[in-house]
Amino acid sequence: MTDSNPNDTPKDIRVSKERGIMRLFYHDGTEGELSSEFLRISSPSAEVKGHGPGQEVPQIGKRNVLITNIEPVGRYAIRIIFSDGHDTGIFNWPYLRQLIDEKDTRWSDYLQDLNSKGLSRD
Amino acid sequence: MSQVTNETVIECLKTIKGPDLEGDIVSLGMVSPIMIDGGKVIFTITVPSDQTEKLEPMRLAAQRAVSELDGVTSTTVIFTAEHAGGSAPSSQRPTASANPPKAPTNSAARQANNSAPVPGIKSIVAVASGKGGVGKSTTSVNLAIALAKLGQKVGILDADIYGPSMPRLMGIKDQPTVNGKILTPLEGHGVKVMSMGFLVDEDTPMIWRGPMVISALTQMLREVAWGDLDVLVVDMPPGTGDAQLTMSQNVPLAGAVIVSTPQDIALIDARKGLNMFRKVDVPILGIIENMSTFICPKCGERSDIFGHGGAREEADKVGVPFLGEVPLHMEIRKNSDGGTPIAASAPDGPHAQVYAEIAQSIINSLDGAGFEGVAPSITFE
Repeated sequence: MTDSNPNDTPKDIRVSKERGIMRLFYHDGTEGELSSEFLRISSPSAEVKGHGPGQEVPQIGKRNVLITNIEPVGRYAIRIIFSDGHDTGIFNWPYLRQLIDEKDTRWSDYLQDLNSKGLSRD
Repeated sequence: MSQVTNETVIECLKTIKGPDLEGDIVSLGMVSPIMIDGGKVIFTITVPSDQTEKLEPMRLAAQRAVSELDGVTSTTVIFTAEHAGGSAPSSQRPTASANPPKAPTNSAARQANNSAPVPGIKSIVAVASGKGGVGKSTTSVNLAIALAKLGQKVGILDADIYGPSMPRLMGIKDQPTVNGKILTPLEGHGVKVMSMGFLVDEDTPMIWRGPMVISALTQMLREVAWGDLDVLVVDMPPGTGDAQLTMSQNVPLAGAVIVSTPQDIALIDARKGLNMFRKVDVPILGIIENMSTFICPKCGERSDIFGHGGAREEADKVGVPFLGEVPLHMEIRKNSDGGTPIAASAPDGPHAQVYAEIAQSIINSLDGAGFEGVAPSITFE
């Protein structure tokens, strides 16, 4: 967990009708958009990250995963429940902000990683 | 008092909107036959098993509406779940009883993890320390009583499952009554109290792993008839483990008060407690220096047994308010152990005065720091 910055707390979180996109609106007027697949493969859960560096578990076949539900966690995070049953990821405000900021690099790293291992999004 | 009838209950339940706010729960066929026994009303509402948590407000609304009917002494509303998938229905959550709750499965523990504010409670304030033995519970009790004397409606939740001290500190020996699965809190010195200590004997150890603690805490928070409260003071156990994390995740805490002695060894742990709350975005209302100094009752000489001013320096250093100093005094200790906290037994004395001042500054910082505006709104389009 990183230390938080009050600007990282979103004002509004909206999930699109087909449950595939989460949009975050911030108090400072900025906003960001994250796909359910990207959120799913970026889950901070130990099931995805493992229990330390190098223990990451490759997430495959998540192309069609959608957001089933979102629960607030205290005042610092949300828990996202995905349509594949994954529900242990607690996304705190700084992490969500980081995902928005690093969306492009993280996504291409993910695709590259899948590619190099011969795995697929489907 | 008039007799409750099936018709009046059904009529009343027709005012409760169904899920998705369409229709009412009676015409949607969600309500079971109503059982009426004197003033007791019992019925079930059938909901999809994966929505029990989301629809909890609906259950509470139905319960509240029926409770307000003339002649109703108690209302029990139970969710029965339509099994859509493999998730456990919420009616299988551990029930409130003197027996230890069942160890929840992973998914049950998560189901109980509902971070919605507790209905009726405006602000929840955690009193924490990091280190044990610095006087957290004594501070919690006296603060709660001081808050009540300032006109607040106050409850105190003893979150120390392993070493509950509220029954003794508040001088309460009764057991809470159970209404359905809802516990009625006990009351002492104008404060509502709930503690694991009411449910087990003082000498009985709670030999529980984390998930049991989480489940018990969630129950003591949500399945207790707290009524309308301005402030719920939570007396936290020492450390930064399961209990602390549960409290931080389960409810949007309005703030945390850190108690420490001036001693370095206590301050190190206080800092950990403080940083934990910072990580989960809980505002630090301030630090209290307990056992701040000792004035000899015979000769009047002052001895700083644990040092002095360490907590104030720490507060300055980390940039949080310093709330006050409570001296190490026999009267405070003696009244604590005797179940007559000093804020209640000598409300005009100098010690009660210190607690009153701290309570006042807590009220000041809580104004406008309730649940509203805390969390982002979450919308499914």
